[in-house]
Amino acid sequence: MKIIGAKLVLQTAVLAIAFSGACRAEDVKAPAVSKQEVAAKLAYCEVCHGVSAQGFHGYYPIPRLAGQQTEYLENQLHAFTEHRRTNNIMFNVGHVLSPAMVAALAANFHDLDPKPLDGAPKDLAAAGKKIFEEGIPSGNVPPCASCHGPDGKGNGPFPRLAGQLSDYVSSKLTNWDKERGQDPKNPDNSAIMEPIAHGLNEAQIKAVAAYVSYLE
Amino acid sequence: MSVTWSNVVRCLDAIRTGEESMASSRQCIDTMRRHDRPKRRIAGPFGARIALPIVFGAIAFVGVCRAGDMNTAATGGIQAKLSYCKDCHGPSAQGYDGYFPIPRLAGQQTEYLENQLRAFIEHRRTNNIMFNVAHALSPGMIAALAADFRGLDPKPIGGAPTRYVDLGKKIFQDGMPDANIAACAACHGPAATGSGPIPRLAGQLYPYLIKELVNWGKERGQNPTKPDTSAIMSPVAHSLNRSQIEAVAAYVSYLK
Repeated sequence: MKIIGAKLVLQTAVLAIAFSGACRAEDVKAPAVSKQEVAAKLAYCEVCHGVSAQGFHGYYPIPRLAGQQTEYLENQLHAFTEHRRTNNIMFNVGHVLSPAMVAALAANFHDLDPKPLDGAPKDLAAAGKKIFEEGIPSGNVPPCASCHGPDGKGNGPFPRLAGQLSDYVSSKLTNWDKERGQDPKNPDNSAIMEPIAHGLNEAQIKAVAAYVSYLE
Repeated sequence: MSVTWSNVVRCLDAIRTGEESMASSRQCIDTMRRHDRPKRRIAGPFGARIALPIVFGAIAFVGVCRAGDMNTAATGGIQAKLSYCKDCHGPSAQGYDGYFPIPRLAGQQTEYLENQLRAFIEHRRTNNIMFNVAHALSPGMIAALAADFRGLDPKPIGGAPTRYVDLGKKIFQDGMPDANIAACAACHGPAATGSGPIPRLAGQLYPYLIKELVNWGKERGQNPTKPDTSAIMSPVAHSLNRSQIEAVAAYVSYLK
């Protein structure tokens, strides 16, 4: 009886292990994307976002994705598909991506490190540096560096700004509340930037956009 | 017309400046050739050897002369060159369906136009006719022509099949994300007017667009020592199949 009992326990245990192993293998396998699929999708992204994803001046300024925080990238792709962020082209691009593909793309872009695309007026950069590092206390604008980091590299949900296209940064700051946080039922962390974007005037926006565009 | 020094100079000058229409320039050369033939027979190979240096001399001479009055940038010269371009590109540069589809230049981005003229000269873009046309243009003339074409706004010449225009619109505005085909609108703009180095497609000729998209890799970016922005379109053109190309070409050909 004891022997039979032990055998049964053993068999059950082995079966259980084997079964759980099978489950785990499937869990990992199901959402995976092949290297080929990821490579093809990356090439597709870079048609608009530029070689090495350093950004591109298309009809619209198309942002640099290289070196961007993965959490931010993933959040933005979700924001497009959930209509939290308004952009018809990126909605179409984003809504066909599987979660695994989103993760793979974000990881790939994060690892790229091309030189900034350049092209902003250099004479504005000094004023921009001051705003970035010290803020505008009289206008209740905090220093950008406090969230985006002293070198503009960002952190988690806070995007990297270093090397971003200056006209892209300008247009985002100018249109912040018309483009971000557009689903009242699904508020997101874009709300953090809203009063700050609002507190900057046009010249200040241009200055800070020029400064970050040169950061490597 | 006999082959005299002044005739050679006059004909070459006419061709370079377009002061006479292309037809009469051709006539001019044909007349010269006809008169040249019997003479050559008499003179034999000797005559040809003398004639060649004379022609080269004449070209050099014309070059010197023209360089002199280029600075005065005669509006007459620009007007003559414009009407020469329009012989093929249509009276308002709205494009012309010749033996080859000849593209619309009206409303085109100046940066794109200038870049393409240089691309022909530098053999980045393969087109023998346009190489011959372009390499005679001074930088000042290129800029003046580009500015003039940019300012024109004739109606599209149309004529494309309308059956797939809706599909073309979808590809143009949204792309085909499943097939990794980018939305044309991202770079060419929602109204296909282009931007800087990115060309206007609105009103472009249907058969021209098809020919370019089908032959992209064989026609553009042909000088490996001078890679250019045409590389951006290369994967896009490659990923579109024939019916998608026809659909998107039909859609933009009707845009004003």
